[in-house]
Amino acid sequence: MKHIYILFLVLFIGCNSSKDEKDNTLLFWSSNNRGEIEFTEYFVGQWNKKKETKVRFQPIPEGQSSEEVILASVVGKTTPDIYANMWQGSVEMYAKAGVLVPLDTLEGFTEFIKARCTKKVLKEITSSDGHIYQVPWKINPIMTIYNKRLMSDFGLSKLPSTYDEYFKAGEKIKADKNNDGYVDQWVGYTAVKVIWYERLMNFYPLYIAASDGGALIKDNKAAFNNEHAIGVFRFLQKLYQKEYYSKERLTAGQDRFITEDIFTKWIGPWEIRHVDKFKQRDDFEIAFYPVQVPKGHKGPVYTYSDPKNIVVFNTCKQPQKAWNFIKTLIDKEGDKKLLEITTQLPNRKNLEMDSIFKEYFESHPKMKTFAKQANYLKGVDNSEVIVEVFDIISQEYEACVVYNKKTPEKAIEDAEKAVNNLLKN
Amino acid sequence: MKKKWLPYLLVSPYIIHFIVFVAFPVLFSLVLTFHEWNIISPMKFKGFSNYIKMFNDRMFWKSITNTFMFLIIHIPLQIVVSLALAEFLNQNIKLKGFFRAAFFLPVIVSGVVVTILWQQLFGFDSGLFNRMLVSVGLSKVGWLTDPNIAMGSIAIMATWKNVGLYVILFLVGLQTVPTHYYEAASIEGASHWQKFRKITLPMINPTIFMVVILSTIGGFSLFIEPYIMTGGGPLSSTMSSVLYIYKQAFQYFHMGYSVTLGFFFAMLILGVVVIQKKYIEQGDD
Repeated sequence: MKHIYILFLVLFIGCNSSKDEKDNTLLFWSSNNRGEIEFTEYFVGQWNKKKETKVRFQPIPEGQSSEEVILASVVGKTTPDIYANMWQGSVEMYAKAGVLVPLDTLEGFTEFIKARCTKKVLKEITSSDGHIYQVPWKINPIMTIYNKRLMSDFGLSKLPSTYDEYFKAGEKIKADKNNDGYVDQWVGYTAVKVIWYERLMNFYPLYIAASDGGALIKDNKAAFNNEHAIGVFRFLQKLYQKEYYSKERLTAGQDRFITEDIFTKWIGPWEIRHVDKFKQRDDFEIAFYPVQVPKGHKGPVYTYSDPKNIVVFNTCKQPQKAWNFIKTLIDKEGDKKLLEITTQLPNRKNLEMDSIFKEYFESHPKMKTFAKQANYLKGVDNSEVIVEVFDIISQEYEACVVYNKKTPEKAIEDAEKAVNNLLKN
Repeated sequence: MKKKWLPYLLVSPYIIHFIVFVAFPVLFSLVLTFHEWNIISPMKFKGFSNYIKMFNDRMFWKSITNTFMFLIIHIPLQIVVSLALAEFLNQNIKLKGFFRAAFFLPVIVSGVVVTILWQQLFGFDSGLFNRMLVSVGLSKVGWLTDPNIAMGSIAIMATWKNVGLYVILFLVGLQTVPTHYYEAASIEGASHWQKFRKITLPMINPTIFMVVILSTIGGFSLFIEPYIMTGGGPLSSTMSSVLYIYKQAFQYFHMGYSVTLGFFFAMLILGVVVIQKKYIEQGDD
């Protein structure tokens, strides 16, 4: 009998100590791409050496998309304490469902975030209830990548920056290299798949550029039935009509930029590493410039920032400690490491001018182009149904731009009606 | 006393499984059809609004039309191809075992892998099929980019993927036909076609029925192929009902509405299968 008491005591103490340990450990999920795993491993390792509150790091479990995995974990109440890599557009839904910690209620958050971000970014991330549920972390501005050698091969004297110049380049580049009667060389390529997120890489950056950072939704109403959106649809529609772009549905393994069948595409800074890894010849040189704008556009060219942010779930027992960890993760040293290891830009003001990043940008001129672009960005409008809004636009995009079944005016008008109907309900 | 409990104890695993995985989800789903729910927020009672929305949802009805279009192409193609192959494999040919295994192989390959492979074959600019067509002087076909052709392309792929299973079923059916029927028909001077029409087809009618039912149910659940290959496009021409229900549930988080569509769709499948059964049974009589 005595032995049984001892056994219970040991189990009790064991359970108790593990509970203490659990209470003092924060679970942190990062993205599961190699660069971010490397960055997070490094950072968490450094943190755990010095700090009392330990952090257990885990890449987000595999799934069809990180959004689905997060949703499943919210439903199953198995969310981590901290999640980095939340798409800005997803936050509002979780905030309204009450599963996120309002970070502006934590000590030191507001001052820190005001020092880090521009007023524009702060406005973008403020929820409809006035609270802030996300920490702006990193951005990947969408720009036009081009093949430098092909530029001289095609005899282009300047980069095609306006719609008209892009059409002219399209006409010059379009060719049937193997003489089978079909075009097999184009000015560019962008995904034709109707799924909503593909529009973040074509329609949306072009719309932001044309409208100088215009909104899709304003005061809970569609705000995109304007000359800019119609102009973008018309521009893209002509690219397909004139066969300057291919309608092919490429699989993940097919990359026409690498095979040099296209001259440009719209992409983020992650492409730098990709090209370095997969380029087929040593003289394959790339550079970036802003996305195309209508003729007569004045001033800097804005683009989509592809923002990924950090959130704290309400399952976290120590949100203040979680914030202390995040604060260190995104301080200048942390952001420098992020930049060096992942080639992704931190979402902070004066990035290009800040002395701590200067050396990096001097030695990485391609990234400096993105840092300059970081002054002219827009994320996504705060709406619980932003995915559906993009899906509606995507349906009209396919009908108008890819298949020429509607005029740009009609397609945008139909999208506006559908979005207003959605927002009304 | 112990004996009275024993039968209940023995069936309890099944009963528990049935309650947890069948009865409760079905009842819960039924309740959900009257609610709006995005999984993470509390449910809101909405009465019959999901049903009203369903009847006014043009995309849902288009998805049902698309699904029937797929079935109309897929089922006859599946039966003709698998029966022809089964007839071929039922003869005294060399390497019979190899052919049987070869035809069955696509059945055990992951649907996702097959779909990605066929997506490349169907590619407009660089796909193998179009390269072959161009090499013999024909025009390229928009296998997955032409709204009038895309569903047919998916049906061809689905037939290739599943044909091995139905070949096996038909082989079993063919081997149950007594050989003396054919011998007697041969003595009477019947041709191969007459023997096939008058003996084989009536004798394997139960197998045909089973293949039709399985193909119908399998066809109604069309999802992976359009999800991966086309995303429901071009112009929603490959938007199957299951893909649409999935989008409502896991893309837009309209759980109540997606369950309503799911219920309606399940009833539709049941109705179609009952009609098929009656029709084929009448044919038997």
